[in-house]
Amino acid sequence: MSYSSILYLLPFLGAVLLLYNGVPRKFRWCILLLASYIFYWMGSPTTLVFLLLSTVAVYFAGIFLNKIQDGFELSKKALDREGKKSLRKIIGWQKKAVCACTLLFIFGLLAFLKYYPFLSENINQFFGWMHLAAPLPELKLILPLGISYYTLQAAGYIIDVYRGKYPASRHIGKVALFLSFFPQIVEGPIARFDETAGQLMEGKRSTYKNLTFGAQLILWGLFKKMVIADRANAFVAEVFENYARQSGAVLLMGGILFTVQIYMEFSGCMDIVTGSAQLFGVELPKNFARPFFATSVNDFWRRWHITLGAWLRDYVFYSVSLSKGFGKLSKTAKEKCSPFLGALIPSAAALFCVWFCNGIWHGAGWKYLAYGMYYYVIMLLGMLLEPLFARGAAMVHLNREGGAFHIFRILRTCVLVVGGMILFRAESVGAFGEIVGKIFTSFSPKTLFDGTLLQLGMDGWDFLAVAAGCAIVFVVSLLQEKGWSLRERIAGQNIALRWSVYFALILAVVIFGAYGTGYDQVAFIYGQF
Amino acid sequence: MEELLSILKNLKPGVDFTAQTDLIGDHILDSMSVVMLVGELNDTFDIEITPVDVVPENFKTVDTIYAMIQRLSDD
Repeated sequence: MSYSSILYLLPFLGAVLLLYNGVPRKFRWCILLLASYIFYWMGSPTTLVFLLLSTVAVYFAGIFLNKIQDGFELSKKALDREGKKSLRKIIGWQKKAVCACTLLFIFGLLAFLKYYPFLSENINQFFGWMHLAAPLPELKLILPLGISYYTLQAAGYIIDVYRGKYPASRHIGKVALFLSFFPQIVEGPIARFDETAGQLMEGKRSTYKNLTFGAQLILWGLFKKMVIADRANAFVAEVFENYARQSGAVLLMGGILFTVQIYMEFSGCMDIVTGSAQLFGVELPKNFARPFFATSVNDFWRRWHITLGAWLRDYVFYSVSLSKGFGKLSKTAKEKCSPFLGALIPSAAALFCVWFCNGIWHGAGWKYLAYGMYYYVIMLLGMLLEPLFARGAAMVHLNREGGAFHIFRILRTCVLVVGGMILFRAESVGAFGEIVGKIFTSFSPKTLFDGTLLQLGMDGWDFLAVAAGCAIVFVVSLLQEKGWSLRERIAGQNIALRWSVYFALILAVVIFGAYGTGYDQVAFIYGQF
Repeated sequence: MEELLSILKNLKPGVDFTAQTDLIGDHILDSMSVVMLVGELNDTFDIEITPVDVVPENFKTVDTIYAMIQRLSDD
């Protein structure tokens, strides 16, 4: 059930809201849990078992970790300093073993279901080159709905319990609802247990403010998805599927429009899911913060898919860079080589792990791995060359804080992001190479004006609708970037103006939304991960 | 405190750390600089800062960093 479908927006969401508000407060979480499992079952009935397995695994592992910790707290009272130290060491190992086994189990499920086909294909191919029989059987596996999202949430929960951030929950319903909450199961945001689980169990009544703010966000998300993203999809699909026939200029245009499409679609989906949760008084973590105002690639990733970046930072980057092994290596490098190298080694190694994980999280394929490495190389070069840039800027008296340089940095980031998006959308790394080659060697700018663009799935009106939609989103984003809270301002207007805005958005979605003859309903791209 | 300020100054020259109220929120310290800072703090103060300690609240200001160092030194 797509978040932009009538089935989800009216009968499903409407029925859940009515039921939720119709039962006593202490049972409202049961309605949300029931709705979440029905939603999951409707989308992916055969793979519900994997969600249940992960839920049960982290629930019992959490309880076990609690028991180990409680045992330590009890025993340590009778021990001296040395005794406590050695017991802490034993307890540490026990907790580590429980946490590692749980992670191995939940990530094992993800790895097997998501990466087995890719791995077996490549391993078999390798054996084929060596003239040996293929060792791995071909399996047709179904990827469970939202597994890449709920696995990260489950892993975050168990690591937090292991690290002692909070005790494990003794309420299996709470853990189950946290992992399966229907608005976020398909595309995130990837929430933390201490962020949303409490809110989900609270059973707040849907207030007028929550309902109007939630509906506003859903409408805004539908506008981005249906008016802009789905309309751009026809052009993007045509250009990338037949890239060999296109000029460099058309391919670049395809890359730019794909960047627009994926942003409008993913951030639009986040608006719909955040709005849906808000109807029930639940605030989900933010996943986007106007990424195209970013002044560097690092800044872009602080604003794009924020919850994935934050997850990788907290559980991969810090775990690797602050590990004892890298600490020692860094110290040795600092003493024997240079302080700069000592500081660089742990960051560079951890950054590699982050971008490797980021790449393969997006999909099982070489191009996704290349996508991760693309950003790794850019960030590493940025780290290495920053002192050089700073010196160069000082030599030519360049004002790095000035407005012109700020705009240059935004444009430079946009160019690098579009490059990454072309790799992300291309059918393979080879195709990406050919596309980039064409952009640089056979650009042919006349194809932008001779009507070629209008033969590729979008007519003049489509381009106009996409451009107008983008202009509206740009103005809204600019105002938000300057600190305006548009939702509060609209809510503060008189009823006539308020409803004029809502009706304008509804009409825009109804009139300019891409659906009906000639348009297939476009699946959310991030829902396929 | 003087040692801490000197480490911070070496890490980010030109920043008046005593005047800052949100080093993480204002992006003065990003994840890279936090890792470098943690390495320096571990060596200088003979403490062990683990990923559990790397939360925005502990790195918000010079005072919160100092408080974390003292807490970990006492452990």
